[in-house]
Amino acid sequence: MAGMLGLDLFQWWAACISGGSVFLTLVSIYLYANSRTRRKNSGQPKASVLKVGGDFIFVWVLLALLVFYIVSINIGSAVVFAAGNIFVEAILIIYLLKNKKRKSDEP
Amino acid sequence: MPTHVLSTAQVLLRQFKNPIFAILIACAIIAGVYSDPRQAVIILLMIAISVILGFYNEHKAEKIVENLRQNVAIKAVVTRDGKSSQIDSRLLVPGDFVTVYVGDIAPADMRIVKSKDLQADEATFTGESFPVEKTSGSLNLEHPMPQQLTNYLFMGTVVKNGSGQGIVISTGKNTQFGSISRSLMRSHPETEFQRGVRQYGNMLITLTLALTVGIFALNALRPDRTLVDALLFSLAVAVGLVPELMPAIVTISLAQGASRMAKVKVVVKRLVSIEDFGNMDVFCTDKTGTLTEGKICLDDYRGLGEKEDERILTYSLLCNSAIVGDTIVGNPMDTAIWEYAIKDGKQESVRLYAKIDEMPFDYQRRIMSVVVKNNDETLLISKGAPESIFARCKYADISGNIKPISSVQKAIDEKFLNLSILGYRILAVASRNAEAKPSYHIEDERDLTLLGLLIFTDPPKKDAHEAINKLKEMGVEVKILTGDNELVAKTICDELKVPVKKLVSGSDLMQMSWTEIKKIVEETTIFARITPEQKLDIIKALKANGHVVGFGGDGVNDAPALYEADVGISVDTAVDVSKEAADIVLLEKDLLVLSDGIKEGRRIFGNTIKYILMGTSSNFGNMFSAAAASVFLPFLPMAAMQILFMNLLYDVANMTLPTDNVDEEYIKAPARWDIKFVRKYTLFFGPFSSLYDFLTYGIMLFIFGAATNQALFQSGWFVESFWTEVLVIFVIRTRRIPFFTSRPGKWLTLLTLSCVAIGTIIPFTYLGSFLGFTALPPEYWGLLILMVTTYLFLVDAGKVFFYKICKF
Repeated sequence: MAGMLGLDLFQWWAACISGGSVFLTLVSIYLYANSRTRRKNSGQPKASVLKVGGDFIFVWVLLALLVFYIVSINIGSAVVFAAGNIFVEAILIIYLLKNKKRKSDEP
Repeated sequence: MPTHVLSTAQVLLRQFKNPIFAILIACAIIAGVYSDPRQAVIILLMIAISVILGFYNEHKAEKIVENLRQNVAIKAVVTRDGKSSQIDSRLLVPGDFVTVYVGDIAPADMRIVKSKDLQADEATFTGESFPVEKTSGSLNLEHPMPQQLTNYLFMGTVVKNGSGQGIVISTGKNTQFGSISRSLMRSHPETEFQRGVRQYGNMLITLTLALTVGIFALNALRPDRTLVDALLFSLAVAVGLVPELMPAIVTISLAQGASRMAKVKVVVKRLVSIEDFGNMDVFCTDKTGTLTEGKICLDDYRGLGEKEDERILTYSLLCNSAIVGDTIVGNPMDTAIWEYAIKDGKQESVRLYAKIDEMPFDYQRRIMSVVVKNNDETLLISKGAPESIFARCKYADISGNIKPISSVQKAIDEKFLNLSILGYRILAVASRNAEAKPSYHIEDERDLTLLGLLIFTDPPKKDAHEAINKLKEMGVEVKILTGDNELVAKTICDELKVPVKKLVSGSDLMQMSWTEIKKIVEETTIFARITPEQKLDIIKALKANGHVVGFGGDGVNDAPALYEADVGISVDTAVDVSKEAADIVLLEKDLLVLSDGIKEGRRIFGNTIKYILMGTSSNFGNMFSAAAASVFLPFLPMAAMQILFMNLLYDVANMTLPTDNVDEEYIKAPARWDIKFVRKYTLFFGPFSSLYDFLTYGIMLFIFGAATNQALFQSGWFVESFWTEVLVIFVIRTRRIPFFTSRPGKWLTLLTLSCVAIGTIIPFTYLGSFLGFTALPPEYWGLLILMVTTYLFLVDAGKVFFYKICKF
């Protein structure tokens, strides 16, 4: 079937992983828009554009990861792949510690 | 008495009322007929485990309560053909002549024909704490309420004083008690949790059908795949999507919770109610016997002036019909006076007096009198209903000053009235110096000097205030539903420091439309003077407003509400019909166990939700990527048997989920089953798993060259898929960021890591070869560890975003 649409295996794979990432990004935008509508209906103030950018940090990380994964797999280098992963993990850990949720926080 | 107690077969059949079983049975049939019968056997085995566990635990709980019920069989003294005998009350027929004594439970509805100081406790019917006087006199009432029928003794009420004889009017299901029991014969209303499971099942059916049909169609279109291959693969994906062990996980959680609750003397009759117990956000309770002791106590004694007058207590001990020995036997008020005096060490004062004569209580005079001697002084002391005593008084003792009663009558009447409307029961005490003579008569009860009042109450339970506070802290609003008047209910709330938002009476409710009732139940704390039907309406209205409603009660009049509530809570000392209607029975009248039960319910709900969220998100992600890969790969990304094996191993890893720790912040407030939230969760976290599956495809195809090595590709994806699917539990099980700040249960950690180890070594074993796997290259493991670690941190980062915008 891969050949049926004129795509080779790599292109199919890249299309699938990109499709998955785009889908996740769209879901995030949908959920965010949904929550903004709820906030608006309950009379809470709108979030600033800067804050919106901050809220979507994980989406930026995700899209950056996608590009990195496609590039490193295309090169076919396990070393590049490993090094990139370690770098991303470091960024994620910093992000998680910055957003640490204390025990007393509301569930 | 017929009740809703389920037979063994009914308990067994109830286990199958679960949509997930329907999916599983359908999968087993299709797999058995069209595919490998071994798959069908595996699925059927999972169903059998769930059914056996559920049946065993629910049947055991039903038996415990059945045994409780058997311990309180009612006997009756019946006179037939002039001969009296004691028979089982179920053998009574209308027209029988029955005699009742103190402590008896009325065995049928009876018209009283003879009575001597007969008083019955009708609290179970009317909520009235104090015994009601019963006489044989005729009444002239149009459409009387049961509580107005003072010449009737109702089945289930308790004789508190005196004795009586009556003719049986109705028995069993034809009695007032029976008519309430009959209303409980309908099937139990669906609980919030059951509704949630049903909605979840429906969501799964839709998702599974759509994905299965889609996968089958896409694979069937490929010229290099047979229809059987396409069907086999789509079936395996369908099974992979269904959390087969969910019924077992839920049942194990519930059974473990029930067992822990039994240790604090709480019997769970209906296992499914535990989760609603935890999610309950409104707790409606009866007053008498639930918030109060359900027992009369002397609260205070007061003179008519400012000074304390110890004579009131001493004289009421002398003018008293209770028999005092190792235990105190007598009518409740006389008993309460002695208990009060003994508790305060004030009983010795009576030794200074010698009793000369006694004029016993009767219902015409409504007083009793004694004549006592203290040195040369002879005293006539009378005690009884204030109106009767006032009528026999000429003077009143105001702090030692004797005044004509007429001069203070208005103030005394006002004092009496104020105390009465606050729910206190009052007796008055009076005395006079009496002339010495051989015997005394009721005509001597005259020219008395009123000394003061004895004030009786049904006191709040010692732990009630603390229990209510704990419920409040846990996000549960308490509402009081009582047959008592507004002031009585308000007084008890004041004593328990329950903030009262609004008070509504039964007569107000009667005027309201359903829409108005739904509105008023949100704003009201106390519902006073309400009927059992109105209690039911209040519960229904709160449920209709989206609350998970608990109801606590112990009387016959509480049974319909206990049955209707999401969680009906009764006590061991409650009437049978209430215990039958309840989901949970407290073996001790300790309200504090309520908060323990709620915590347990929240813990169980928390762990059940974890399984559901994991199952729907990571299973969905895995199966979605399998479906996508089946379209472009030259071979199936995983064989049907491999998917089923992974599913089984995954389920084993989840078996200890019910024992997992639940974060304390999760227990602080009621959680709700919200299918929209589950859907959002699946939609958001499912693709994370798919992305890493796709990444693994890339690594296997383009780094390890598995495009022409099906076994290597399938092994690589099997291990990655299993690692991510199982290890993500440590991220999903908590809302804390980072996830490792929440400590998982030791058994969960142990079993999960053991399963990961098994999944890791499988490709190197004989079983692995049998399943079509092959050994993986060493570099793969390094990349796998890095990739899975990134995945877990990315999901955790996703949690920061998700929980910020989606409130559960």
